[in-house]
This record gives sequence, C-alpha cells and structure tokens, in this order.
Amino acid sequence: MREELRRPGYLPPMPRTWWLRTGPYRRFAAREFTSLFVLAFTIVLLLFLLALSRGRDAYESFLGWLDSAGAMALFAAILAAGLYHTITWLRLSGHVQVVRLGHRTAPRDAVTAAMVAVWLVVSGAVAYVHIWA
Amino acid sequence: MAERRIELHVSRYRPDRAPTPYVESYEVPYDDDTVVLDALNAIKDETDGSLSFRWSCRMGVCGSCGMMVNGEPRLSCAAFLRDLAPGPVTVAPLRYFPVVRDLVVDMEDFLEKLREVRPWLIREDEARDEPGAHRQTPAQADAYRQFSMCINCMLCYSACPVYGQDPEFIGPAAIALAHRYDMDSRDQGRDERRAVLGRDVGVWACTFVGECSEVCPKNVDPAAAIQRSKLDLAMRGWRAVWPLGRRP
Repeated sequence: MREELRRPGYLPPMPRTWWLRTGPYRRFAAREFTSLFVLAFTIVLLLFLLALSRGRDAYESFLGWLDSAGAMALFAAILAAGLYHTITWLRLSGHVQVVRLGHRTAPRDAVTAAMVAVWLVVSGAVAYVHIWA
Repeated sequence: MAERRIELHVSRYRPDRAPTPYVESYEVPYDDDTVVLDALNAIKDETDGSLSFRWSCRMGVCGSCGMMVNGEPRLSCAAFLRDLAPGPVTVAPLRYFPVVRDLVVDMEDFLEKLREVRPWLIREDEARDEPGAHRQTPAQADAYRQFSMCINCMLCYSACPVYGQDPEFIGPAAIALAHRYDMDSRDQGRDERRAVLGRDVGVWACTFVGECSEVCPKNVDPAAAIQRSKLDLAMRGWRAVWPLGRRP
C-alpha cells in the first residue's frame, strides 16, 4: 500500500563534481586527497627499508636520492599535506572523543586543543631524538 | 524610509506542466524581521497561489520548512532576508530528496529510516518492571540530551554527499536518534539498533564530511553520534575476539 502511495518525484542526478560544489565539500576532498601523501611517505619508508636490506651500495644510493632536489620537493609536499591532513582530522576529534570532567563534558574545542598539544609534544620528542640526542 | 525589496529565484516543479524543475523570479518587500518563509507566504498570498511549500510553526521548532537557501540547507523560518540582501536569493527544495512539487520533497524514505532504527525506549524486562516511571538522574539525562533535540528537519541529509550518492545510507538524523536511545540509561535496545547501524549502509558508510553537524539548527551534532556509534561497534567487535577482554 505504501508503495502505491509513494510519488516518484523528480530527483536531480548527483554530478561527479559534487565535491567542488561548496567550500566545505572542497575542504573535505582536500582532507581525503592529502591522505595520498601520507601513503607516499609510507612507500618511501618501505623503499628505504628495501634499500637497507639490499646492502651498503643500495643504501648509499638511496641516501643520495634523498639529497636530490626532487626528493626535497616531494618531502616538502608530504610535510605540507601531512600537516593539513593531521590538523583537519584533529579538528574533527572533538566530535568523537567525549571527555568527562566530573558531571560535565569537556568542550569540543578543549578536546581538540588537548589532542593538538599531545601531537606537538610527541612530534617535538621525536624531533629531539632524531636531531639532537 | 523607502520600502526595501529583494528578488527571490524560486525553484518550481510542476510535473503536469514541465518534466523538470524551472526557476521563477519574484520580488518581495522585506524589513529586518522578514524571513524567507514570510516571503514565500507573501508570494503565495499575493502573487502566485500555486506555489507549494511545507511550513507550520514559523519558529524553528517543527522542522517542516527546510529548504536550500542560496545553496545551503536551512530552515526558511530562520533565514532572514536582511542577511541575504541585496540578493537575489535562490530558494530550492532540499537537496538529495525526490521533489514532489515546487519546494515540497518526498519524506517517506527518511521516515522509513527513522522507523528502522527503532527510536523509542526498548525494555527487555518490561513485564517484570515495577509499575511507574523509569527513574533517571540528571547526569544520565545529560548523556543523551544533545541528541534528543533533533526536530527531523532533514537539513543534515541535504548536507550529506554520502546520502546524495547512496540513498540507502541510513543517514545522520536517524543515526543520531538511534544514538540518543543507545545513550539512554532506561533503554535496553542497543543490540537491536547495532544490527541496523552496523550494516554497510549504516555508520560505516559515513566518510565524516561533517557538514550534517554544521547545518543542524539545533546543534545536535549527528557527525558525533555517527563516529561514536562506529567506536561502539568497533569496541564490541574487538571484545568479541580479544581473549582477555570482557565479552559484551
């Protein structure tokens, strides 16, 4: 009976370029797209391990490539995209993580700020170990 | 002071006259208190009585008058023309829903999805309960209060490209309402709802665009409800295979 009562109506087709339609959609697409740079970094890391497993010459050759202008450009792009991806995800974390403070719930911005603080501290610690320690 | 006027480009769909929607322009007077819904009522009363749209309370409570205003899903009773001046203002039916006529969309799909998530208190031991109300502390009520503010206006569906691409997706408001009852200390129906939310077209279809929460006129935050439901389902799956953990 319900099917009989239903009117088909007009449903406009969804264009393939829907993600260009609004600012928020474009920012969402950018967030998802930048994950490919995270994948690129993972692949570079795997290639590094592969070179390491193949002996000294392969390792030295890989280090040489890391010094090239192309590799520098790639890592600059990976850094920029990785920062954008991380920051946009951390901004969403306040939606997901509920932090109870007694009978009250921490504001969403405070949760995001705490996540960013943890991220900066861990990144700083990793940088310290790699550069100065 | 001279009367202020603004142009509205209103989407019309009259299947008896044209197979696809078209746009008609109207010019209406407005002041600081005029909202888009007032303008549509003025058009219907004075210019074109055939214009069709839904509305009821005019005060952001009933959720009937959701439309696309300048491309954004909004309650037309809360969209002030003074903020949209000098115009023109485009008014169209809610995106991603089949249009029945002019600005009226078919809500049946949404209503079916609402029924699917069983948005009511489910009690396994109803027969054994003592007569009277189920007691609840203010703190327990606070756990779901935000998600109980939904007015079923469907703006979140019109903001959701996942629903636009896959109409089978249960969608933001229905999941938020399911989460509202899952978080209710009086409810015992979480397992029944998990069976619905855990499907491919349930919470896992959401890619966390987050626009559902941005357009919600009641700050329900459906995106939060969806992500927290994902967490609940993931933890339940994890506990089922983790040998040392507590089984649900």
